[in-house]
Amino acid sequence: MTTDSTEMYNQISGILQAHSKVDIQITPQTLIATDLAIDSVEMFDLVMEIEEQYDISFPLEEASDIDTVQSLVDIIERLINV
Amino acid sequence: MFDTLGDKNSVFAKFQKLAERAKAVEATGRSPFGMRFDDMLSQTRARVGNAEILLAGTNNYMGLTFNPDVMAAAKAAIDAHGTATTGSRLANGTYSDHLDLEDELKDYFNAASAIVCTTGYQANLAAISALAGRGDHLLIDADSHACIYDACRLSDATTIRFRHNSPADLEKRLSRLPVDGARLVVIEGLYSMLGDVAPVAEFVEVAHAHGAMLFVDEAHSVGGYGEKGRGVSQAQGVLDKVDFISGTFSKSFASIGGFCVSRHEALELIRLVSRPYLFTASGSPANVATARAALALIASDSTLAKSLWDRVHQLYTGLVDAGLTPVSPPGPIMAISRPDEHQALAEWNMLMNAGVYVNLAIPPATPQAQSLLRLSLSAAHTEDDINQIIAAFRSLPQAG
Ligand SMILES: Cc1ncc(COP(=O)(O)O)c(C=O)c1O
Repeated sequence: MTTDSTEMYNQISGILQAHSKVDIQITPQTLIATDLAIDSVEMFDLVMEIEEQYDISFPLEEASDIDTVQSLVDIIERLINV
Repeated sequence: MFDTLGDKNSVFAKFQKLAERAKAVEATGRSPFGMRFDDMLSQTRARVGNAEILLAGTNNYMGLTFNPDVMAAAKAAIDAHGTATTGSRLANGTYSDHLDLEDELKDYFNAASAIVCTTGYQANLAAISALAGRGDHLLIDADSHACIYDACRLSDATTIRFRHNSPADLEKRLSRLPVDGARLVVIEGLYSMLGDVAPVAEFVEVAHAHGAMLFVDEAHSVGGYGEKGRGVSQAQGVLDKVDFISGTFSKSFASIGGFCVSRHEALELIRLVSRPYLFTASGSPANVATARAALALIASDSTLAKSLWDRVHQLYTGLVDAGLTPVSPPGPIMAISRPDEHQALAEWNMLMNAGVYVNLAIPPATPQAQSLLRLSLSAAHTEDDINQIIAAFRSLPQAG
């Protein structure tokens, strides 16, 4: 990972931790819905927060593809670079 | 009963959790999602088993389902044209009544084009999915009705949600979009669950400033809002600026059907390409005649909207006094937020025992996963009806 993407990964982990009700060590393979117990309502707020932070908009089709922490980071990186 | 649910390869396996949740709801008494009305006694009364129930959740805003003129129009249409069209609008399903209704909608909304569909759900699917194509962007309010979400799924455009009722958030998202491709913003006039109104005038300004068109679903607001009941866009003085308005005949119009009107004549072109428009049968003669008769009344009889709003203010005050303040300012839809699904369900049952039917609205159908007791009022409700509704709410243990 480059410094940029490490920094982003750390930021995203922080946001996820803040929205999660369970306290576990987040890894790239952590499943957001099941491992972090983030439901769809919480997920919506979380996505809105990330969108503000990075000045991006998640297409609805992509938002439903998010499962692991890494998949979320990948989508954000792609959206930033378009 | 559901013996195939346990088999993990069954098509029904995915419903196992749902079946458990439904069973738990049923165990508390009646099922709010499996209600049977044994007899409709009037616009506002039904017989359920041996009980006469006052209806306070039927979206029958103008109370026209038993109006003598409207009923006579429906009966005459059956006598004249039969019970069904047995075909789609493009083939054999367009009668002169469908075209007359389209002309009347154009006059009513001062629009250049009008398309009548078989339901409001279909109207949104038909218009939105055809207007926004590949390479285009759809920007929708996060609290949009399920049929708007479904329309986006059917469309080849990219869909982006913005914060509910936030023109500022929409503006941010519009300014992030690539320059290529068309942009269509979709909102509702009056939101069906919480009963809050959109700032349509602000949205139209933001949309147009960023080269987008604005589509407003006025399913719940035609009848109760605006001069001659023409909806929230008209009430906010922007009827001539909004690009598309859709609506339904299943609420204020006491029928079944839907429509989309536009100040752009080119909307007509979607008739040739829109799959939801093409591949389903048209509204029956009775449905179309009902909608026409209702439209004539809504456009000419301002006492209907006045009665509705008198009852709205009466009920709102009564609910506030009972310590059950609705989540939005007074309007024909009132939603009362409950601490959780369990309590909402228990209270829904208590209201039924007191002879009052309201809607129970629970996640995932509600914004922010709220549990709601939802009421919708009718011009046909009397002052006494509203007093009965207030008394029923006052009898809830949690009322103030
Ligand atoms: C906002 C909104 N749009 C569209 C519809 C669909 O209307 P119809 O019942 O005619 O399919 C509804 C009705 O539930 C609605 O609430």
